[in-house]
Amino acid sequence: MSKVDCELNINGLSKKINIHNDKPLIYVIRDDFKLTGTKLGCGLEQCGSCAVIIDGEKKLSCNLLAIECEKKEIVTVEGLQIDSELNQVQEAFRKFNAAQCGFCTSGIIISITALFDKNKKPSSQEIQNALDGHLCRCGSHSVVLKAIDSLIEN
Amino acid sequence: MKQFNSGPSISTYNKLSHWFDFSDPGTLKVYSGKIDIGQHISSTLALITSKITEIKYDQIEIIKLSTDISPNEGITASSLSVANSGSAIKAASIALKINFLNYALESLKIKNEDILFENGVIKDKNSNKTISYWDFAKTDDFRKIIIPENFDENSLKKINYENNQKIELKTINDIVTGKYKYVHDINFPKMLHARIVRPPSYHCKLIKINEDFKKRLVENDITLFVKGSFVAILSQDEFLVTKFLEIAKKNIFWEEKRQLSNENVFNSLEKHEKETLLVKSGGEAFYEEIPEKKSFDDPKIKSLSTSFKKSYLMHGPIGPSASCAIYKDKKFTIFSHSQSIFALKYSISKYFDIDPNLVTLKFMPGSGCYGHNGADDVAFEVSVIAKEYPDRHILLKWTREDEHSWEPYGSASLNKVFGAINDDGEVIYWSNEAYSDTYLSRPSDIELTNFTSYKFLTNNFTKTKSKPKTSAHMGIHRNLDPIYNFKETRLVKNLVHDLPLRTSALRTLGAFANVTASESFLNDLASIKNIDPFDIRINHLDDERAIDVLNNLKEKMEIFKPKDDSFRGIAFSRYKNSAAYCAVGVELNVTDDLEIKLNHAWITVDAGEIAYEDGIKAQVEGGFIQAASWALYEEVIFDSKEIISKDWDSYKIIGFDNIPVFTTSVIDQKGSSYLGVGEVVAGPTGAAISNALCNALGQRIKILPFTKDNITKELLN
Repeated sequence: MSKVDCELNINGLSKKINIHNDKPLIYVIRDDFKLTGTKLGCGLEQCGSCAVIIDGEKKLSCNLLAIECEKKEIVTVEGLQIDSELNQVQEAFRKFNAAQCGFCTSGIIISITALFDKNKKPSSQEIQNALDGHLCRCGSHSVVLKAIDSLIEN
Repeated sequence: MKQFNSGPSISTYNKLSHWFDFSDPGTLKVYSGKIDIGQHISSTLALITSKITEIKYDQIEIIKLSTDISPNEGITASSLSVANSGSAIKAASIALKINFLNYALESLKIKNEDILFENGVIKDKNSNKTISYWDFAKTDDFRKIIIPENFDENSLKKINYENNQKIELKTINDIVTGKYKYVHDINFPKMLHARIVRPPSYHCKLIKINEDFKKRLVENDITLFVKGSFVAILSQDEFLVTKFLEIAKKNIFWEEKRQLSNENVFNSLEKHEKETLLVKSGGEAFYEEIPEKKSFDDPKIKSLSTSFKKSYLMHGPIGPSASCAIYKDKKFTIFSHSQSIFALKYSISKYFDIDPNLVTLKFMPGSGCYGHNGADDVAFEVSVIAKEYPDRHILLKWTREDEHSWEPYGSASLNKVFGAINDDGEVIYWSNEAYSDTYLSRPSDIELTNFTSYKFLTNNFTKTKSKPKTSAHMGIHRNLDPIYNFKETRLVKNLVHDLPLRTSALRTLGAFANVTASESFLNDLASIKNIDPFDIRINHLDDERAIDVLNNLKEKMEIFKPKDDSFRGIAFSRYKNSAAYCAVGVELNVTDDLEIKLNHAWITVDAGEIAYEDGIKAQVEGGFIQAASWALYEEVIFDSKEIISKDWDSYKIIGFDNIPVFTTSVIDQKGSSYLGVGEVVAGPTGAAISNALCNALGQRIKILPFTKDNITKELLN
């Protein structure tokens, strides 16, 4: 049960924290940084609701050790806005009302943001790959796909 | 608009102050007894209010349900959110608007043509004098208004509204920015995080907790709570409590009082003790002798019989259930995402034997599921813990394994169907026997055993028996009564006892199984006589709205040319034979590996007057997706020791890779009652997929889900 000092950078804010060395990143995000937009759905890397962007790549934070994320840039759903403006993916989801209960939505927005940050015109297969592993129980899929399609059209 | 009925809530809450609060200038706060479970009821209710009152949508705030201030409109279930709360708020809005207009005209001494009406303010064009709803709300006239139970044509003449409005959901901005708060995100000073240490299965008594483990808990400032066989651990550090939960499982020992039966559940459904009721036309169930099933010797009459089987299904919200409670000054305040907020208040007060007024339930959003999942159990459990640690908030979250293993599932079921069709294509006889466990074990102050932890708290593991409900379309017999004018029907409800798994309300209750079976079987009867699936349905319907929905579906499907190697199926239902009408068409492909790929889904729905069109579309498309997931993938696996389906790998649900293109049409019946759309699509979806699959394989597959294993078994049979 040993604790270690660690410095993490989340959404541009660096913070020194003293944590258990086996503490997964999601608990640091939610407890130590008080950012609750990232959701814990399964803790097994099966549902996608805990997705964050680390150094430009989408990662699942529920089993990822926080101490392995030092010196990396971590972005959660709260960090996607630029100058208080929604990013293009958030804006598309807002415009299409692309959520039901919304529990899975931040993870999906993170994945699609990571995809479009690298590739402005992804193929439908690349979009499917990005959505692979994201579960939604309310059935918001059809509206979510419309919102994503609008990004390609634009 | 000829007449408008205000719905059941107005009989109890007939004053404007029950629904509206004008205390903040420029804002209208609206109370409702329904909660947001993903269906965005708050946005729909705000839109209804805005359309009628002409107060801007953005000025309207829907107050989250809290048992101390909100009207008790029962459970948020059964597709009644808009039908009940929407109708009540529409009635309140009409009463408000009519009385406000009269008051303004009289106060300003002007005529109707002299007014400008904007954002809840009436202005005299000539004098520029104004009067607002907020002014009106301060008057005795406002306080005296009684909302009528019906509005006649004359009183409705002053109400005009546009019905096709686009809105931004009230919650969407917070959802896309991560600011939307769920119960899981509550954080009070010195709050304790709790987890429950569960035994392997339902019927286990606590035997021993290792002493060394207890010492380790103390060393790490973790509290152990034990009452009977109910065990929880608590800490201010959430991660620490999750970490010790895993350690606890190896240090706490249980005696298994009774195993789960791993007999084939479909055999159990037929063989076990059961209560058998006759369901009559109209959908009510009666304790009456069941008539013998007829047989037909006339060669001109063709008969057919089949059995349809459906496995146990789980609600499976993406976020496991959670609840937060504090016990302070001998009062409970509990934050919950239960759909049965008021029933929980009375159940919890019953358990503690206290005045219900000492228990306040406050709704906080949870993860969507549509039915009775772990939300009620976790709220009950956290109240038990909070009572022992007064003056501190306790946040209890279920784990993924808790939710998968301990929620009350949608029951496995069996439908034995028999029918006969004559040479003219008339269905002259229709028998449907439904076998299932209960769909109705939501919290109740007279059945505390409905809480899964109650038996652990009391160490009482005796078997309990559900009682059959007899009201029209309740539980197992929902939509068992076919909507078609078949000459003779024989409908039987069997509530089967002593089945292995805990069950309760899952979206549509028995309607998914009953409609899937009936609408599949109707196609099989039609195919004997080579009758088109649309024709067999329309030929047996008198209701013009039902026929319009089917004709609309047919038109919409004909626009699209079928894809290569694809097959189509259709189905129809009117939910509870009294709510929304829905026809579904499906086009699918079956791969060489017997995988089903959904290409296109057509949905046509008539839900009465459109309250919020995009909301209706989201509900029916979402309902289709969930029902498609049930039909294609879902099945709770268990053995005699435990539930095997503990996570998403062992309980597969639909992903983004099998979502069809949707063509969704909503028929507006402006002026008629709201009918609600949360569930109507599920049954026709199961049947439309079943019918398309039957066309693809040339053989009916009679067991859900339509997995490769089940299809193979059926084909080999």
